Amino acid sequence: MNIFTADFFFSIIRIATPILFATLAAVIGEKGGVSNIGLEGIMMMSALFGSLGAYWTKSWLIGLLLAMAVGLLESLVMGFFAFNLKTNIILTGTAINMIGSGGCLFLVKVITGQASTTALITKSLQIPSISIPLIRDIPYIGKIISGHSVLTYIAFLLVWLTIVLLYKTPLGLNIRSVGENPNAASSVGVSVLKIQYITIGIGGILAGMGGAFMSMYYAMGWSQDMVAGRGFIALAAQSMGGGEPVGSMLAALIFGFASALGIKISATGVDSNLVAPIPYIVTIIALVIFALNEKRKEKQRHSSAALQK
Amino acid sequence: MNKKNDVSGMSRKNSIKFSVIRALAALAIALAVAFILIFVSAEGANFSEKMSASLKALREMLVSPLFRKNGTFSVKSFTDVLAQMIPIMFTGLATCIMFSANQFNLGAEGGIMLGAFVTALVAVYWHIPGPMLIVVAIVMGALATGLMMLIPAVLKAKLGVSEMVNSLMLNYVIMYMINYLMNTYLADTSKGVTQTQPFQANAIMPQLVSNGSRLSWGFVIAIIMVILCWFFMYRTRWGYGIRMTGINQPFVMYSGMNVAMIIILCQVLGGILAGMGGGIEMLGRYSVYNWIQQPQYGWTGITVAILAGNNPIYVPLAAFFMAYLTKGCTLMSTNANVPSQLISIIQAVIFLFFAAHQFLAGYRQKLVVKSAQEELAQKEAAERSGEK
Repeated sequence: MNIFTADFFFSIIRIATPILFATLAAVIGEKGGVSNIGLEGIMMMSALFGSLGAYWTKSWLIGLLLAMAVGLLESLVMGFFAFNLKTNIILTGTAINMIGSGGCLFLVKVITGQASTTALITKSLQIPSISIPLIRDIPYIGKIISGHSVLTYIAFLLVWLTIVLLYKTPLGLNIRSVGENPNAASSVGVSVLKIQYITIGIGGILAGMGGAFMSMYYAMGWSQDMVAGRGFIALAAQSMGGGEPVGSMLAALIFGFASALGIKISATGVDSNLVAPIPYIVTIIALVIFALNEKRKEKQRHSSAALQK
Repeated sequence: MNKKNDVSGMSRKNSIKFSVIRALAALAIALAVAFILIFVSAEGANFSEKMSASLKALREMLVSPLFRKNGTFSVKSFTDVLAQMIPIMFTGLATCIMFSANQFNLGAEGGIMLGAFVTALVAVYWHIPGPMLIVVAIVMGALATGLMMLIPAVLKAKLGVSEMVNSLMLNYVIMYMINYLMNTYLADTSKGVTQTQPFQANAIMPQLVSNGSRLSWGFVIAIIMVILCWFFMYRTRWGYGIRMTGINQPFVMYSGMNVAMIIILCQVLGGILAGMGGGIEMLGRYSVYNWIQQPQYGWTGITVAILAGNNPIYVPLAAFFMAYLTKGCTLMSTNANVPSQLISIIQAVIFLFFAAHQFLAGYRQKLVVKSAQEELAQKEAAERSGEK
């Protein structure tokens, strides 16, 4: 059986998209010294409000914007606790995740009266896909690259924008300097608090887009536990990618590959419980390989420095 | 002698006063948030109807867990709440020890599931006579979970891989693996739902009360573990090392303690405690293993640890509070039609304010100033009496 069909690569990109959004949020966050483990919870809440917004207004665009706004709002709440009230950022994120899992169920019951899913998104409310002229006519490759949702293209565009933001703009310089050494940044007149809020806010908006993708394209509506650890996998992708946008994007694609492979395997009749943990196991293994590699590099640096002496 | 000031710069009396007021303020804010949400979700045509419905719901949440409709105290309800405390005391203790060393291992959730599963397997398949079976089953569950925690612990200590990400990933892996084993090999196929064969009769843990609360001797074990953990953390060298690692890791390293060992030790201990909790919960409350979803005790355990300020001795109090609140929210959802998941929002709000260093910082400043002034006044008085 040939598994490397165009469909297979297409599904890798589709699966990697929500992880990529959250990964970019993690990349920008870590650059600014903000470890946002609340991405999971933010995605969950945005997924819910994205689908509700689209349903209420009959417009996917407003749904998406609402999801982004909810993501921003939640990240600012996180920021308030973490930066102003000095709650440990990891605990802040854990609290946001609690709200993301239980709080969403509460809201769904209160708002829609349904139990644990909202099958609200119909074909017309789904985030539209784009078929790219010319590229779609290229054999094999066209089938892989063309026909994705608008958000997928935006996600990959955002990788480039993240590089520009971090390395080519004054704001990016400030974000990196606050992440590197907040005291030094503050001594040259950078408002650390403001930069931290901007950092976490951008992350919230990105995670919001990832959430919207989950409920308005990946699945038709919101369901319980639908984010299923993608926010956490994004943190792993960030650290595997060495904290750089392109590397982290590749890491996100590896998870897409692992999941897509899992789906292929389970189609052959293997118990889904055996396939479902693959992305999580891949995450652990990948983190180990990355850490071993870093250690080896460091050793080399040490020994070459010693040789030069 | 002046009363010694602690690190907070306050006298002991003022320090306790501040902690209590701060805790009450956090609870009050959480209840206010809860009330707003209840009000929004309450049924009613106009404001006063909504108000009375919300007050009824609030009563269900705050009073009903222990009191009957006519206001009398119910022993059965009380033992129910105590029984609910057992698993979250264990996950709370586990989290206390791991968080004390700044190891943000969130694996108590998977840990309690793994411990419960392994204990259940022993309870079904190993033929050991008498109550020894209970002991062996729980020890096996605890050991299995301790071994599992070696994965995030060793990877953190030796390679610096985030224990948080790894433990979260393991939570999912454990859940799916258990479900796979259940579906493929272990499930009792004569039943409509996924569950194991029943435990052997001598694996069922004896109960403390016979009113159907399922309050087993596990409660006593939990309390003993609380005391042991407190002793370990505050009266032994290793416990000191764990706490010091959380406060100032370089200090521990330069003073010659093995930091890597401490990082591994605290997570393995956390695993053992979580696994033990799972085993005790299984044999105390169930007669078959049937958890196919994460039981959420691990997450509640994190809240318990935060409420207890990572000090094992306060874990029972925090666990009682969370068990009470959980029961209150369940009652509220059955009797007043407010979704029980409100608990996770209340939990998150309490959690955020409890862990907030700067919450009521202005008030703390006032108390610190007051303590300093009192101390100066005392000194002055002492000097004056010395002159005489």
